[in-house]
Amino acid sequence: MRRTIYQHDANAKHEGAPRLAWVRGLLAVGACVAVASIGSSCNLDPVHRASVNGLGPEEADLYPVESEYHRPGEPCALCHSTKGPADSVFVLGGTVFWGPDDYNARVDNAYVRILDANKTKRCFVTNCNGNFYVRKEDFSKITFPLLVSVERTVKPGQDESTLVIRRMSSHIGREASCATCHIQGLRDFASPGQIRMFNSEQEFKDKNIPLIDCPPPEDFVQVQKCPEDVN
Amino acid sequence: MFALTSRSALLLGIAVLGGMGALVTGSTSCASPPDNKRYTEILQPDYATYRTYVDPYLQRRCGTLDCHGQPGRAYRIYGFAGFRLYNVDAGLVSGQQPTTEDEVLANYQAAVALEPEEMSRLMATQGAEPNKLLLLRKPLKLERHKGGPAMSEDDAGYRCVVAWLRIRTVRPTADGLDFETIPEQEREQLPVLARQRCEEAQSFP
Repeated sequence: MRRTIYQHDANAKHEGAPRLAWVRGLLAVGACVAVASIGSSCNLDPVHRASVNGLGPEEADLYPVESEYHRPGEPCALCHSTKGPADSVFVLGGTVFWGPDDYNARVDNAYVRILDANKTKRCFVTNCNGNFYVRKEDFSKITFPLLVSVERTVKPGQDESTLVIRRMSSHIGREASCATCHIQGLRDFASPGQIRMFNSEQEFKDKNIPLIDCPPPEDFVQVQKCPEDVN
Repeated sequence: MFALTSRSALLLGIAVLGGMGALVTGSTSCASPPDNKRYTEILQPDYATYRTYVDPYLQRRCGTLDCHGQPGRAYRIYGFAGFRLYNVDAGLVSGQQPTTEDEVLANYQAAVALEPEEMSRLMATQGAEPNKLLLLRKPLKLERHKGGPAMSEDDAGYRCVVAWLRIRTVRPTADGLDFETIPEQEREQLPVLARQRCEEAQSFP
């Protein structure tokens, strides 16, 4: 079989060459921009993408979607991370429940106190759905490991005497989502279950603590700061 | 140089494949069955000291569910506040029952088996150059550690672990060609200062 080989003449002058190079350059830049925009809008990490998809859709009948009240008990920082898809990045976030099993009994106005490795103390307050979150800009120098405690006072903002307080028995090594370890509805060899103020539902019921609707009624007072941060 | 005709290329290909097949067949048929009596013994650090002094610290410092208290870790730590050794009968739940003896033993085995040859070297030299051990290289951040620096050479936890590794558990045999294990009752104890370090470390953080 014979082949015809076309040799490139290096000395030959091509008038169209500079224009061709310019077009090629433009195409290359365009391709780069396209890849970059796909990368930023879509999640190219299959593991992360699968984890996010695994959360399932929002449940509009349980909470206002895409709000600070959404997805209680789910791993906040899975989406609220630099990998997205949420816009804001959380360095810590979770949901506080009253008991170990009931998903619908969540603690409003609980004080979540954090002590980081630099001995910096910060306190954050849960909203009516029991959610709390720490944005990166709220605690930019947070350094793991962290010690955490949760306190609920008798009437937050008015009577700040302790109703119940829980301290984490271990520290948080590096995980920003409480729910990664505190898996809602599961207590087994790999999870202590949801973050809770009481170890039994009965103990909570005996206290006759009222539950708040979320979004809250107009007379509900959302405490913005922990007692130590007031003044 | 010579040109291959299509026929000679075909023959050459068949010859190469045949040769490879013969090699594979030969290697499988010549391999002797494994001898179960042959194994490499690992020179191990003292278990009693580990159980009493070192494990409570490593459990607390490294064994949280988001770090080494995970099934995916080569160095896996079980314990009360973290990951539990799965056992249908015991039904261990994170944060409920106290750490079991089986869990402590599993933690010890994980620490030893992380780098068995290096651990043997360390025991044979009575804990010389402990920082060559991955168990210390990682938390000291001498090697990449996802959890960042977890120890420093001047903290109580590091000194506790090193003191444990320095306890002599083997001695040369009479002919000097091998090592023999020192019976537990003949082993030296952890020095008082080291015990204090361990107790201090157990109260982490």
